[in-house]
Amino acid sequence: MNDNIGVYVCECGPNIKDRIEIDKVIEEISSLENVKTAKKFSLLCSNDGKKFLAEEIKKEELTHLVVAACSPREHEQTFMNVCEEAGLNPYLFQLINIREQCAWMISDKEEATSRAIKYIRAGISRVALHKTLQKKEIEINPDVLVIGGGISGLETCLSLAGADRKVYLVEKTESLGGMASKLSQLLPQQGSGLSLIKEKTKLAENNKNIKIFTSSEVNDVRGFLGNFEVTVKFNEKDSEEKEIRVGAIAVATGFGLFDPKESTQYGYGEIDNVLTAMEFEEMMNSGKVSLKNGKPPKSVALIHCVGRKERGYCSKVCCLYSIRFARYLKDKLSDVSVTDFYIDLCLPHKADQEYFEEAKNKGIRFIRSDEETKVKKSGDKIAVEYKTEGKTDNITVDMVVLAPAMIPAEDTSKLAEMLNIPLDVTGFFKEVHAILDPVSTPIEGVYVVGCALGPNNIPESIIQSQAAAGKIFSSLIPGRKIEPEVKVSEIREDFCTGCQTCLSVCFYGAISFDPFKGISVVNEAICRGCGSCVGICPSGAIRSKHFTYPQLYQEVLEALR
Amino acid sequence: MKKQNVLVIGAGVAGMEASLLLANTGLKVYLVEKEALIGGQTIKFEEVYPNMECATCMLAPKQQEVLQKENIELFLLSEVEKIEGSAGGFKVKIKKKARYVSLVNCIGCAACYEPCPVSLDNEFEEGLSKKKAIAVACAGALPNVPAIDPENCLHLNGKKKECKACQEACMFDAIDFTEKDEKLDLEVGAILVATGFDLLEVKTLTQFGYGKYSNVYTAMEFERLYSQNGPTEGKLILRDNRALKSIGIIHCVGREEQGYCSGVCCMYSVKFAHFIKHKVPDAKICQFYKDLCIPGKSHQKFYEDVLHKGGNFIHYQDIKVESQNSNLQINYGDGNGKKNIFKADMIILSPAMIPRKETKSLAQTLGISQEKRGFFSTQNEELSPVTTEKKGIFIIGCAEGPKDIPDSIAQAGAAVGKVLSYFR
Repeated sequence: MNDNIGVYVCECGPNIKDRIEIDKVIEEISSLENVKTAKKFSLLCSNDGKKFLAEEIKKEELTHLVVAACSPREHEQTFMNVCEEAGLNPYLFQLINIREQCAWMISDKEEATSRAIKYIRAGISRVALHKTLQKKEIEINPDVLVIGGGISGLETCLSLAGADRKVYLVEKTESLGGMASKLSQLLPQQGSGLSLIKEKTKLAENNKNIKIFTSSEVNDVRGFLGNFEVTVKFNEKDSEEKEIRVGAIAVATGFGLFDPKESTQYGYGEIDNVLTAMEFEEMMNSGKVSLKNGKPPKSVALIHCVGRKERGYCSKVCCLYSIRFARYLKDKLSDVSVTDFYIDLCLPHKADQEYFEEAKNKGIRFIRSDEETKVKKSGDKIAVEYKTEGKTDNITVDMVVLAPAMIPAEDTSKLAEMLNIPLDVTGFFKEVHAILDPVSTPIEGVYVVGCALGPNNIPESIIQSQAAAGKIFSSLIPGRKIEPEVKVSEIREDFCTGCQTCLSVCFYGAISFDPFKGISVVNEAICRGCGSCVGICPSGAIRSKHFTYPQLYQEVLEALR
Repeated sequence: MKKQNVLVIGAGVAGMEASLLLANTGLKVYLVEKEALIGGQTIKFEEVYPNMECATCMLAPKQQEVLQKENIELFLLSEVEKIEGSAGGFKVKIKKKARYVSLVNCIGCAACYEPCPVSLDNEFEEGLSKKKAIAVACAGALPNVPAIDPENCLHLNGKKKECKACQEACMFDAIDFTEKDEKLDLEVGAILVATGFDLLEVKTLTQFGYGKYSNVYTAMEFERLYSQNGPTEGKLILRDNRALKSIGIIHCVGREEQGYCSGVCCMYSVKFAHFIKHKVPDAKICQFYKDLCIPGKSHQKFYEDVLHKGGNFIHYQDIKVESQNSNLQINYGDGNGKKNIFKADMIILSPAMIPRKETKSLAQTLGISQEKRGFFSTQNEELSPVTTEKKGIFIIGCAEGPKDIPDSIAQAGAAVGKVLSYFR
């Protein structure tokens, strides 16, 4: 072997120098096979230090570089940049952490020194097995596919479409608007759902960079960030299909509603004048709230949290819209009595409580009850049996309006499978990171917005739509190429038995099965190098390009010697 | 795309997220942060709900990226003084206070703290620990470079001119007492305001006994007390050292006075019960709430898990903290108005999130308005949640109103979407 490995120990001022006998380290390391040179320097991350390293790489004709200094989190990138500038492939470099893991950890200088020697030896044995890895660049298509033409989908389209970026909007039904278009007067500043949707639809229709497909569905999706191929099927014209190419996909397929029939306690479907919230919205839209007999109701009960028990979560918008219904009734019908049965009032936005207080002042009765509120027929009227603060009671009303839980839209799991993105336990799409990345999925370039992610109100849906647009603007720039991860997994064809175990653990959907060859295949543009498949492969056919078994084995062997 | 610069005010989660997304496109971002470190309030949390991830570990990569990104220029200890112009051409004056420690030379070895003779309350630790006049806020603060407090440094305030203890201890020539405050002029096309929130001063609400009884804590004090990198290294040691057997957590502190629900307190109070059960398994924990606000698909499950572990939840109507023979007790009226007493060794108060006290002056500087609760007002709270009445200025995160981390991150993304759509 003709390796020229250069080893450089950083004194890090007194941090390493005072706690490790660097000269002893250098002496031990210098004698190792393939080590061309071993030197110390006062502070390698300084400008002088970087210059020194770059000169050494050239002067000593180094084939590999080992730096013993601080944590890779501090300066791995710094030294990789030095390699690159000096003409050495940055993957032929290894940073050994002898500060946090030796100098700062071990008070005994001798012990710290011998530990540092071990670690450096381990790094040298590993780096000798490193392979040159080359960065790749992939051309991208900046266009975007939006699935679902409700408020979120429309907002996403309007945010993104421009001269340099086309947006395709695929809507399953005949018209745009989704659930929001069915809502009557929204909150004070919003106007009606329909007028909001009309305004956005008009903007979308008049935008020549937005191509709208109604009565259509996405039938197949292939590819990866920057290069997706999508088949769109038109429902009206049988078997007609269209292929489109996009760089990113935003899923805005909205939500469904819990069917109160599933929960017999509410008598929905059996007792007249027991309505769902959506049915009440329809009445509000028609401008006439009436009972089956055509007369206006004199007393109305609103029941929150219908289906919450079954679904296991709070839908977060029902409290506020129930209050909206109550206020509407009070404003519209002067002598109506309105009773609102809630479990806990969920009013998490800054303006919500004021809206509630105003409702209380209008004479609406709010009763804190539990999940067991029952609706029964009582002559021509309806009896509501409830329990409040430990006591059971009941009232008789003309009309009951139920606020059902928001649930995943019906095609959610089908779409999840097609896009290879996960669902969470509630059946909604799952975020790649629920806290730090709430609109992204594990598949790069695929985003989910609005109620497809879970219950959200209109402002939150709009925010998420704009956020997905922000992420797409930021990652998919017209004319710029993308650089996928270099340290990816690879599958050795001869070893792969085609068992497909790896497919089940790949969080990013980077592995597919080639039925002709009978083996699994890694798409390097998607793989992020997490190594899950490497660990699970029963035949050892998969290896991670920068963490091969020989590299790890040698490293561990030296560290334990 | 037109080349434009963007100013982001505040380097908490929202400000960092927006800066990174903008910088990825090649735009120049000026990130202005009042404190000497980045990360905002989130880095004070040991773990965040509902998945109980370590907040510091979660954010450290983002913080590092912000520090290392070439086209993010970070101004620490800095504030916006003046803004002129309009969208596409704002002229901004920044006041940058001297740090007296070089971000380039300092390697964060901490050798300078020990010799400093000054001892001060550490505000980052809610006053639960002391710090020197040269210090970082906590272990793991980023950038890992201390700053000198010029008002308390004996050399800088002139009380003992000859004291140069830190400078003498520094081996990297990083300390420079001659550094001066600076004024900088920037030109930007858009401005993102991400200045976060304050917590209500609970002292003003005397019924909770904060400040009067030593074992009444605020939620933020408890977060720090629980944190591994906090004042007690995560040990739940009470101010009077008594054993921790019984804990009362009071929700909605200041909700009535502020007139809104802060949306996150129920969840973090539930998290506290989880924390306490983890460190003191036999502790008796009782939560006093008004309405449990646990919105969204994953929160109820977390609540149920904690309930299962033995948390007790009581719906209160009125509440008062008192002390009997130096033993704390919570006197409360339950849903039926029935009076009861809960004896506690420690009481944690979950206070309302309120606008930053600087909101008013910043709103004036920016020429935008505040809504009635004092947060920055957006053009249309419901339909255009991040835009303000002034074109090119956006509000994100808790500067707009109380919200959790994911909602703040989403708003940051949304404002970036708006800015980039405008610059195209």
